[in-house]
Amino acid sequence: MKLKKVVSALLVSTMLLSCVACGNNNKNTDDANKDNNDTKTPSTEAGDDANTPDDSADVTGDGKLVIWTLAKDLETFAEKYMESHDVDVETVVIEPANYPTKVQTALNAGEKEPDIIVGEPQMLEDFFDAGYFEDLNQAPYNAQDYADQIVDYVWEVGQDADGIQRAISYQITPAGFYYRRDIAQDVFGTEDPEEIGKLFADYPTILDTAKKLKDKGYRIFASDGELNFFSGNTAWVVDNKLTVSEQRHAYMDLCVELYKQDLTAYAAQWSTPWYQAMSGPVPVLTADSDVNVWDATEFASATEGGATTEIFAYGLPAWGVLTMRDNVGETSGKWGVCAGPTYGFSGGTYIGVSANSERKDTAWDFVKFCTLNEETADWWIKKSEGDTVSLLSALEKHKDDGNEVYGGQKLYSFWLEQAEGLDYSVVTRYDTAIGNAWSNAITAIKTDEKSKEDAIAGFYDEVAATYPELTIERE
Amino acid sequence: MAKNQVTTKSKQRNRNNVAYLFVLPFVVVFLIFSVYPVLRTLYLSFTSYKGFGDPVWLGLDNYKRVLTDKFFWRAFGNTLKIWGVNIVVQLGLAFLLTIVFSDIKYKMHGLPIFRAIYYLPNLIACTSVAFLFKTLLDWKYGSVNQMLISAGITSTQINWLGDVNIAPYVISIVGAWMWFGNSFIVLMAGVQGISTDYFEAAAIDGCGRWTRFFKITIPLLKPILLYTCITSLIGGLQLFDLPYLMNGPQGGTAGQPNGVLQTAVMYLYKFGFETRQTGYASAIAYTLFIIILIVSIIQFKWLGKED
Repeated sequence: MKLKKVVSALLVSTMLLSCVACGNNNKNTDDANKDNNDTKTPSTEAGDDANTPDDSADVTGDGKLVIWTLAKDLETFAEKYMESHDVDVETVVIEPANYPTKVQTALNAGEKEPDIIVGEPQMLEDFFDAGYFEDLNQAPYNAQDYADQIVDYVWEVGQDADGIQRAISYQITPAGFYYRRDIAQDVFGTEDPEEIGKLFADYPTILDTAKKLKDKGYRIFASDGELNFFSGNTAWVVDNKLTVSEQRHAYMDLCVELYKQDLTAYAAQWSTPWYQAMSGPVPVLTADSDVNVWDATEFASATEGGATTEIFAYGLPAWGVLTMRDNVGETSGKWGVCAGPTYGFSGGTYIGVSANSERKDTAWDFVKFCTLNEETADWWIKKSEGDTVSLLSALEKHKDDGNEVYGGQKLYSFWLEQAEGLDYSVVTRYDTAIGNAWSNAITAIKTDEKSKEDAIAGFYDEVAATYPELTIERE
Repeated sequence: MAKNQVTTKSKQRNRNNVAYLFVLPFVVVFLIFSVYPVLRTLYLSFTSYKGFGDPVWLGLDNYKRVLTDKFFWRAFGNTLKIWGVNIVVQLGLAFLLTIVFSDIKYKMHGLPIFRAIYYLPNLIACTSVAFLFKTLLDWKYGSVNQMLISAGITSTQINWLGDVNIAPYVISIVGAWMWFGNSFIVLMAGVQGISTDYFEAAAIDGCGRWTRFFKITIPLLKPILLYTCITSLIGGLQLFDLPYLMNGPQGGTAGQPNGVLQTAVMYLYKFGFETRQTGYASAIAYTLFIIILIVSIIQFKWLGKED
């Protein structure tokens, strides 16, 4: 009996101790930080020249920094940061789908770590409303003093509804069409990005371009998702009212026609065939096609008989430079990039300081290191082999850099131009769900499952069910 | 005498206290990680909580919204459709194998090996299964279509995951493939628990295979069947991972094509984690819970009425 009591008492004490220890984890940190007043009050002087690397080395704190990120890039940034700073950076990469929940749970519970949190544009509005990100406009950060150093739209994305800066991204992600120069020359007699951009100027023109390409044996896109980043330059919700612009309808018509007229290669975006089509021919696929793409002999004979096609263009944001680089194979050097029918962007990792952090000084220094430091930007351009940074001075410095995959095209100046055209005010927190509902309607029409009227009525129903607070005036 | 009674009571009390101490770790963990979230979700289902800030009390508004939300009921219908076909195929396959392996005439050898093989799909991560089948069933580039065309079974590619009339059943079949091994093991265990005397006696009395199956196996398997049906229903109504991963080009809660692959839990996820309407998502969760509870009670009554 005595033994039982001892064992049970031990078990219970161990459990309780664990609970207490877990709960006290941050208190220990608190105590540690109490000894170092600097960690609670950032000491970095506002208005410092962030491009001077030396100032970021002047960091105080307990020598630790915890980052929760959804982009692996920050691991690389953290390693670079540790080379020049006496700070132990712990980077936790969390899968994007789980990221908001993890951050929400931790910060709602008052956790002092992570010190650095990040977000993609579609997450930020909720994060800002929740107060997770530190106000970077207040002293001693005074982020507004750095506003003219970063591309405008990136600066705006990082602001909350009251215009307070809460996050900054190290990259810009405007979208463009990546096209094959050799095919352009063959079909349109030119490969000049400006001229090819005209072939994507608006939705009806894209349809004409697609038909011309098909007549010559090519397909304009691998999938019919290439227009996703150009689905409309208007806001879905204005003053709490659902707005479906003419542009959205034109986009819908184009998607339906591309599908119905066999103008794409029907490869699902991000699937293996989609990537394969970047490097060479893929079978011509229509509803009646029966080429066995897995049979090398059959594939070869189909190629001889002209039953394959090549893909003209991919619609991707600036980070697509890296996707293409890794998949273009022998077509490297034959690519170009041009503007799409609307300005668009997607993604981008926005870095900020957790409002609960007790290492705000170090955290702000890290944010500046990643986003406002020209040396870091130079290093990142080289390290990432083509990612497009948001620091204007770095973009200016590299504006004449040619990218060999794209025939030596000066991509940094192109992306900057595209970024300057972006109107971030059209982005709302409703975009993902409403965009999905619109996409459902398009699918229903193109597969003849519903008439256009019924599909659009279904779209309104879906939006009304998802956001009852929105005013919806049906067409 | 009185002293002895006091000592005995004291011992009983001590014994009880020790028991409490032993169960305390589990109870504490259970209260924190199971009871509290369940009660918290119930509370949130009456609020407009968005995942942050203070919850605003809405009363029954969220529940009224669920009951009148045709997309929730569509998602629920989708779930039933996918689960219905799945359970028929899954149990059918499991039953078939159970009959074959338990038949006293066949006397099949190597049951443990087959049992392990049939159970293998259950051990593969759902993500891997989804990716595998998504690749195999790709409309234009999938090897399933290529094989069917090569064999002359079809002349054009079948859009397995893009046709609204086919996609739900594809998910059902893939699910059945994943889970039939588990049902088989459970049913087989049940059959092995039935004394062979019954079967031998019936065989001597001239009963055929089917008579033995329907008059002996099925009635004696009823508790196992009840267990399998209820667990399958609970799991089926919570179906999420396979359709979430296999719909549309990149998966997601839209349930492409045209929402036919959007299950009730995907719908819940859409509100809980995508549109940040935690209160409404909680109400959906409780509505589902109530539905599952009612259906489970009906199943209990129905399958257990003759016992």
